[in-house]
Amino acid sequence: MSPSSTVAPVVCLGCGCGCDDLSISVSGGRIVDLAPPCPLARAWFGDGTVPAAILRASQPATLDAALADAADVLAAARGRVLVVLAPDISTQAQQAALTLADVLLAAVDTATSEPAAAGLLAAQRRGRAAATLGEIRNRADVLLFWGVDPTPRYPRYVSRYAIEPVGTHVPAGRAGRTVISVAIGADRGPAEADVTITLAPDDEVAALSVMRAAAMGNTLGELPAALAPVAEAATRLVNARYAVVVHDAEPGNEPRRDPYRAEGLIALAQALNGPTRAALSSLRAGGNRSGAEAVLTWQTGYPMAVTYRYGAPRYTPASRGIGWAVAGGAAAILVVGAAASLGSTLTDVAGRTPVVVVGPRATEAPFPARVAIDTGVAGIHEGGTAYRMDDVPLPLRPPLPGQRSAAETVSALLTAVRARGTRP
Amino acid sequence: MSAPDRLRIAGGTVYDPANGVDGEIRDVCIEGGRIVERLPADAPTLDAKGMVVMPGGVDIHAHFASSSCNHARRLAPDEHAADPAPAPALSEGEGPPRSGTGGTVPSTFTTGYRYAGLGYTTAFDAAVAPLTARHSHSELDDTPCVDGGIFVLMGNDEYLLRQIEAGERDRARDYAAWLLQATGAYAIKIVNPGGVEAWKTGQRNVSGLDDPIGGRSVTPRAILETLADAANALRLPHPVHIHCNNLGVAGNYATTLASMEALAGRRAHFTHIQFHSYGGGGGQPWSSAASRIIEYVNAHPEVSTDVGQVMFGPAMTITADAPVEYLLHKSSGRRWTNIDVELETGCGIVPLTYKDKAAVSALQWAIGLELFLLSTDPWRVVLSTDHPNGGSFLAYPALIELLMDRSVRDERLKQVNPKLLAGSALADGLAREYTLGEIAIITRAGPARLLGLTHKGHLGPGADADVTIYSRDPDIAKMFSTPRYVVKSGAVIVEEGQLRRAPAGRRLHVAPGYDQTVLRDLRRHFDRYSTVAFDNYPVRDVPGEPVAIA
Repeated sequence: MSPSSTVAPVVCLGCGCGCDDLSISVSGGRIVDLAPPCPLARAWFGDGTVPAAILRASQPATLDAALADAADVLAAARGRVLVVLAPDISTQAQQAALTLADVLLAAVDTATSEPAAAGLLAAQRRGRAAATLGEIRNRADVLLFWGVDPTPRYPRYVSRYAIEPVGTHVPAGRAGRTVISVAIGADRGPAEADVTITLAPDDEVAALSVMRAAAMGNTLGELPAALAPVAEAATRLVNARYAVVVHDAEPGNEPRRDPYRAEGLIALAQALNGPTRAALSSLRAGGNRSGAEAVLTWQTGYPMAVTYRYGAPRYTPASRGIGWAVAGGAAAILVVGAAASLGSTLTDVAGRTPVVVVGPRATEAPFPARVAIDTGVAGIHEGGTAYRMDDVPLPLRPPLPGQRSAAETVSALLTAVRARGTRP
Repeated sequence: MSAPDRLRIAGGTVYDPANGVDGEIRDVCIEGGRIVERLPADAPTLDAKGMVVMPGGVDIHAHFASSSCNHARRLAPDEHAADPAPAPALSEGEGPPRSGTGGTVPSTFTTGYRYAGLGYTTAFDAAVAPLTARHSHSELDDTPCVDGGIFVLMGNDEYLLRQIEAGERDRARDYAAWLLQATGAYAIKIVNPGGVEAWKTGQRNVSGLDDPIGGRSVTPRAILETLADAANALRLPHPVHIHCNNLGVAGNYATTLASMEALAGRRAHFTHIQFHSYGGGGGQPWSSAASRIIEYVNAHPEVSTDVGQVMFGPAMTITADAPVEYLLHKSSGRRWTNIDVELETGCGIVPLTYKDKAAVSALQWAIGLELFLLSTDPWRVVLSTDHPNGGSFLAYPALIELLMDRSVRDERLKQVNPKLLAGSALADGLAREYTLGEIAIITRAGPARLLGLTHKGHLGPGADADVTIYSRDPDIAKMFSTPRYVVKSGAVIVEEGQLRRAPAGRRLHVAPGYDQTVLRDLRRHFDRYSTVAFDNYPVRDVPGEPVAIA
């Protein structure tokens, strides 16, 4: 690569929007600019520099020595290993990590947040009515934002997908769309809404039920004053050509989120498909979280909370792997991906259980690691595939290739583990 | 690979209909992954005396490696929990064997293992949204043992509809060629032409070939004609693969016949025709119209079909025909997933159980069998269950038994709900029993020929050394469900009924030529309406060379 260059179009994994239209300017081995401007993209790419160290017991080590030690630790703990698919790795690295998890009879956990997990479980009970982001861009004429203003955490959702763009069936762009904002406690809706409704957190599931009943054509009778506006909003949705309900599947500002919110939203979107067409858009964080769930699903049948301990994948959504490890169940832990995303979750357990970290900034993990091997970041230094929040796969075009590959490192670790004869 | 480079499969009873071999005792010689005429006398030998030898099975139409399948997997944790699939005990030196789960939509590795365990060595996923082709290739990477590919959905594609509306059929053809190449696909698939776009617009569906779609001047007929002509003009190995309008609707046989007639004289493959062979409607009860459909197919050599047999038991309906799935959800009350895919297609999923005591299920089952039994050309009416829509591919042996043994079929017929079977040819009695040679046609030789896979489905010199060896057994279903040996690209992957090797499958895809002037217009379309950049859209790392186009 020349000292100064521009790489485009590049996928950003700074949030789940997966914008793939970025131009990244590189000079002297660093990222010096990017366009279009987006605060999350700037935070995601930074200047592109990452550590490239290898530590074993906090001391510098060769890759071979680190892999050998990690393999010893993991193989010895076979049947009591936790593998964490942390963010910022490619689908190919996730595939390799699951191969290793299978060989190690490990439990697998992901960066799937609790609200997102609740949404996955609700969708397993009911199914769901959804759409890829471009369908929202091209068709949505009425948008209901349920306790979310996308701009702070999904900065380009509004301009690329939901409110502003011109679409095949929305030629007037913003002028052709009606935007309804529903604020729920501390979770506000978008400021540019045409209609604003405010709900108390305790009322949100009742409100969703009212809207669903309206969508199904049921007579609502007299409603409490707090719910009357949502009945009117439901009428707008029913009269839409293509209605979209947008919500944040990740934790929001409001600590009181009704546990049945996800089910209520799914049921509403499904019911709206009686009188009109409708979809639920679930906003997800970035770093290829959706990719981890996709790979887990095609390799095991389950999108999260899987254990291979019994010789074949078992689903344990009520008892996720990190909780199991924190409770003392794991004899070794392998984190593949950005350890920083785990915060202090593993700090205590890492003091008594050996942890191997392979991923971006592994050597800066916020907990003590027995082995830490730095790799590049998916989409910045490493190619492969990552998934958008709507399960659309995107090709990664790294502007700064050349760092150690997470996928290749995990594959090398697999080879080392297998050399220790783990599968009878 | 520890398998010998050379192998003589000696003394088996060979069924190789593509080469006119119908139950002859002879050797099959393999060298370098291919069938060869002869081998040195000291070549390693696999004793197949008393056994039945056929080419590896070829599945022309299944759903097992797509974003839609992954959505379906998510919908069935209960099925997966009931069917854990431990890792197989592979031979020393093999890659790590993988565990997984089964159910109607098994996980990827389990899918590959189970296909191999059934003697199938080639399979196509028949409905992939182009936008998610990259996902399908990732799943195929994790589906060992079978060579495979994908058919991409074009029958509701925004750019294509615009070209048809503008009378730009040459550009539509060039676009189809570009899209095949960009997605690493093998064939053009049409699902409910125009009906999925209508579903998205609020028109909900189309019902006839001349219905305008979503307020445009485009019709299902124009889509059928444009894409059938494109496939033939591009000399694709497989013609356009068509899921007709009105799937599952009483009286839909008329639409199916009209679709066939619309393409008269053109090569075309009509898929899962069981779901499109219903009489009744308009106040009349459901009935079989299988004889009307198969009569047309028998008389028109340019038409080919797979049946899409319904087998009793659990199924997962997965289709781009999203409006049908909505109706199924409303009528069954079962879970329902719908995913609208931008600018291209849709996806609907509903779990379903076909019950022999349910009148419509029984009728569907009977219609499929009638289509098989009334077919006069097994080369053009081949086996499928539209896995997992009509039932799992694991039900193929039971289906083969129904076709080969009238007594089994008649016994089963006595157990099903007869309410809608009045006038059914099956109920009236069909004596035909398929021979082993005919089974070899409908499960491997025929599908391979229809797919244009000149190296598959036969055992002549130069063919891929994909071979299945069955121990004879009076229990036909047992015989076909547990092959004694399976050879894939010359390697023995199933030994004594046990999977011992799991090589990666080869990718089957095409790259037809096209006039590249379409690219400028296409880029403009992407810039305006797509959320994926034009330069990021193509799958650039599809493994293997494209299949040569004659």
